[in-house]
Amino acid sequence: MASGTAVAPLAAAAARSERLERVLGQALALLASLLIALLLGALMILGYGESPLGVYARIVDGSLGSVDGIGYVLSIATPLTFSALAVAVCFKGGMFNIGVEGQYLVAMVTAAWAALSLDFLPGPLLVPAVLVAAMLGGMAWAAIPAVLKVKTGAHEVVTTIMLNGIAISLLAWAINFPLKFTEAPAGQNVDLRTDLFSDEALVGDIGQYFGVTPGAHLSWLLLLAIAVAVLVWFLLRRTRLGYEARAVGSSPGSARAGGVSIGSIQIRLFLISGALAGLVGMQQILADKGHLGAAYTAQLGFTGIAVAFLGQNNPIGIVFAAILWGILSRGEVALQIGSDVPREFIIILQGILILSVVVTYQVAKRRLAARQLQRAGAAGALEDSAAPGESAGPRESAREGPPQAFRPADGGER
Amino acid sequence: MPLTDIAVAVQISFTYFTIIYLTGTGGLFSERSGIVNIGLEGLMIIGTVTGAFGARFFTDDLGLGLVWGPLLGLLFGALCGALFAGVHAVATISFRVDHIVSGVVINLVAVGLARFLSFAFFAGQSTQSDPGGPHLARLDLPLLSDLPGGLGRAFSGLSPMVLIAAITVFPVWYALNRLRWGLRLRSCGENPEATRSLGVNVPLYRYQGVMLSGAFAGMSGAFLAAEVIGNWREGQTLGLGFISLAALILSNWNPLRLMFFAWLFGFAVAIPLRPGLTDFWAIRDVPPQFIRMIPYIVTIIAIAGFVGRVRPPAAAGKAYEGGT
Repeated sequence: MASGTAVAPLAAAAARSERLERVLGQALALLASLLIALLLGALMILGYGESPLGVYARIVDGSLGSVDGIGYVLSIATPLTFSALAVAVCFKGGMFNIGVEGQYLVAMVTAAWAALSLDFLPGPLLVPAVLVAAMLGGMAWAAIPAVLKVKTGAHEVVTTIMLNGIAISLLAWAINFPLKFTEAPAGQNVDLRTDLFSDEALVGDIGQYFGVTPGAHLSWLLLLAIAVAVLVWFLLRRTRLGYEARAVGSSPGSARAGGVSIGSIQIRLFLISGALAGLVGMQQILADKGHLGAAYTAQLGFTGIAVAFLGQNNPIGIVFAAILWGILSRGEVALQIGSDVPREFIIILQGILILSVVVTYQVAKRRLAARQLQRAGAAGALEDSAAPGESAGPRESAREGPPQAFRPADGGER
Repeated sequence: MPLTDIAVAVQISFTYFTIIYLTGTGGLFSERSGIVNIGLEGLMIIGTVTGAFGARFFTDDLGLGLVWGPLLGLLFGALCGALFAGVHAVATISFRVDHIVSGVVINLVAVGLARFLSFAFFAGQSTQSDPGGPHLARLDLPLLSDLPGGLGRAFSGLSPMVLIAAITVFPVWYALNRLRWGLRLRSCGENPEATRSLGVNVPLYRYQGVMLSGAFAGMSGAFLAAEVIGNWREGQTLGLGFISLAALILSNWNPLRLMFFAWLFGFAVAIPLRPGLTDFWAIRDVPPQFIRMIPYIVTIIAIAGFVGRVRPPAAAGKAYEGGT
């Protein structure tokens, strides 16, 4: 009897420490991967005959050492935040949206179309209309793999890879034919692009309020990205859809048994992901360039996957991961002058970082699972010795202590 | 003269066949062993930069001449591709990282690594090398290149690699269907637990499959850069790795059918490159960009099960928990 009551608080503590252990484990894995990447990077820097600490200090100084630098970092982080959030939303539901790349390309086309053909709208309406057009474009492109997955079982990874290829051609076609510029400055060679958007279609610069150079193109899209991150957090953590999404993601079988319509959840998640992906290209066409041209920045969808891993698919973590990515990217500038380390070092460092994140996270996950399994086994053994024939799991007894009290006293341990 | 145009398009399609077929064969070895490899594009990218460097290095710097130089360049690209594929192998096989995740990372890292290598190889140029690099002598196929009406053009001026790639289908088919090694490799991809119970070292075979995929994709990239274009340029793979993946899927992971789809997609890639051809017949009104989409659209249709049936190796992409 005495040991029977002792099991309950023990199990409750175990459940609590289990969660603590998971959070700690994730943090440790992240820290370890950062350390590994920095160490490997240091070895490379030593290979160039420079001091690792000195180079790292210059990278940080180049990106965070001035107000302008911070502005650049944040404007690099803006599209990556959208992109990584789009990846994370699908990931929580157990799906892999590799198609963010294609979705944002299509969205840039629909947004460019809206910016050029809806310019009769007054300024305060035009920008929202363009953003909505972008989100709709991304959603439409994301709807294809979602519906195919649910209706035919086609794996979303394969279909989105193919749709990425189609999107590249679609964008090329759009700027070659329907959206090709009509008025080019006389006597100048212009790269293939759309007409310039009217100033009213561009998003406002917020850098000026903080003394950031206009060259950084720090726009209020950054604020939108942060707000969207909070919204996504709320969606995943505090709404029914988010709860069901996580259920589908962690255990589709029990989700179905629990009455969740998996297909409808998957389609809704993919549409949300597509809408977020639609916003990825807005920084470049509405803040940086003011048109959509053949020299657009690609790969943001894939980089978003890296940022999502780095932020471990946590919406708030993603904002910080995007900023970290931006710090590294901007740090390139510091390596251009007076250093033997080539600027390509940064991109290798990012690669090593993401590889080590993926591997350490996987290792940590397996370690945790093994430990919890072991502990469950140990707890089970304890329970068995306490009350033969009783097989209530430690968690159950933790939640509903009373049943233990109803156990007949003829357990035999006394 | 449409016949000549068709012939030239066919000739270009042989070039793209070679690229798609070699990369697809790489994917075949990896996925047959049970490791999904969507990093083919990245492996090709490493092949392009190292192949372009290798061709120049062995031909000019070591003075090995125009046969051994370019050949060793191609092999150097294959070697580097295999080494880089080792990253995918370690991640997926030893650390059991999700295959898709690792493949995405491979593609991401390849872009940066290529720039880094290029900076080291080509005297600080990080996005391209000098044009006009050495390549193998071009080949006119006997008899076929004498076809009348301009059709001979299709079979003249080919890189010898086109023939070599076409011929590899025999050893590849034989290895996978007749050799004990190939049968074991395939059974690792179908049922690793059962394979292990027969005393086969599953991770070892999977390492071989993935490294082979890197070798083939790397050689394909080296061929593209050194033989076809003549120099390395950033982004020159243009999604051909993904088209190879599409051909592989449509082929149902079968080397003979892979050959057919590789050529078909090679032709789709070639059509927009031949302006004379796009002026003619029904495709006159089709924008070239839409022809580029064909391989992807066909693959989506097939994957969705509207035509035919796609059946990947049963264990491909699944985590294998067993040891050696």
